[in-house]
Amino acid sequence: MTKQEQLQEILRELKQALPELRSIVVASTDGLPIVHAAVDAPRVAAMAATALGLGKRISQTTELGSLEETIVRGNQGYFVVYAAGDKGVLAVSAPADANLGLIHLEARSFAGRLAQIL
Amino acid sequence: MEPLKIVVTGPVGAGKSTLIRTLSETEVVDTDALTSENIGKETTTVAMDYGTLHLGDQLLYLFGTPGQDRFDFMWDVLSDGALGLLMLIRGDKPEDFVAARKQLDYITSRHPVPYVMGVTRQDRPPVWGPEEVAPFFGLPLQRVVGINATDPQSAATPLIRLLELMLEDQRAV
Repeated sequence: MTKQEQLQEILRELKQALPELRSIVVASTDGLPIVHAAVDAPRVAAMAATALGLGKRISQTTELGSLEETIVRGNQGYFVVYAAGDKGVLAVSAPADANLGLIHLEARSFAGRLAQIL
Repeated sequence: MEPLKIVVTGPVGAGKSTLIRTLSETEVVDTDALTSENIGKETTTVAMDYGTLHLGDQLLYLFGTPGQDRFDFMWDVLSDGALGLLMLIRGDKPEDFVAARKQLDYITSRHPVPYVMGVTRQDRPPVWGPEEVAPFFGLPLQRVVGINATDPQSAATPLIRLLELMLEDQRAV
């Protein structure tokens, strides 16, 4: 399987594991989309990289240790950005009634798999 | 005197992060990520750079933007409440001038603040000087300053020029 196919496969499995997700974007840490299931992926990819980059810096500056994820919570849902190694980011969005604990559990493990490939 | 918020912007590789690191009197807040494109450097700013600087008694807060168009939302976020803009362009990379012009229009049309242009890499000829760059952007020569972003004295000159322009604007009101 090519790298791209492996990434598509992970994307497919993540969609299956968490069907409540509204969008999924895997991007490089400098904000370019790699694989996605989202409308407006280029913009989401750039914003995910910004959120992760800023999150990392805030985490460092305020002595929170290494960053786990950056969460944006609106009254209609969540946008969560996970580090996928030092080259990638995984961004997902979910409705407000989604089970955030379950999303973290799955997404962190998928982010780990992505990190291996990227 | 109130601190002044200044935004430092410009295309990728213009020297925005370098200038802020050169000038800041406090530890710089940067947000570098590894690059996946061929942009002639290993890392790039994805959110912002932040540093502080005194010019005389005046305290400046310097906010550097990412360079790529895809981060244009950060140009807006960081320009909010800014009182001046420093636009940097690489003097040895005229192919970036068109992108720089779009970026300058994008920001100044949404955030009409006084601005100055810094033409970097003046220490590395052959390089375009301010007198060549100014006509391209249709700017008076007093708004375009040639600099070396790694030299503290040189890097401060466009900010000094910006403060002078801001003072003139105030007097004119």
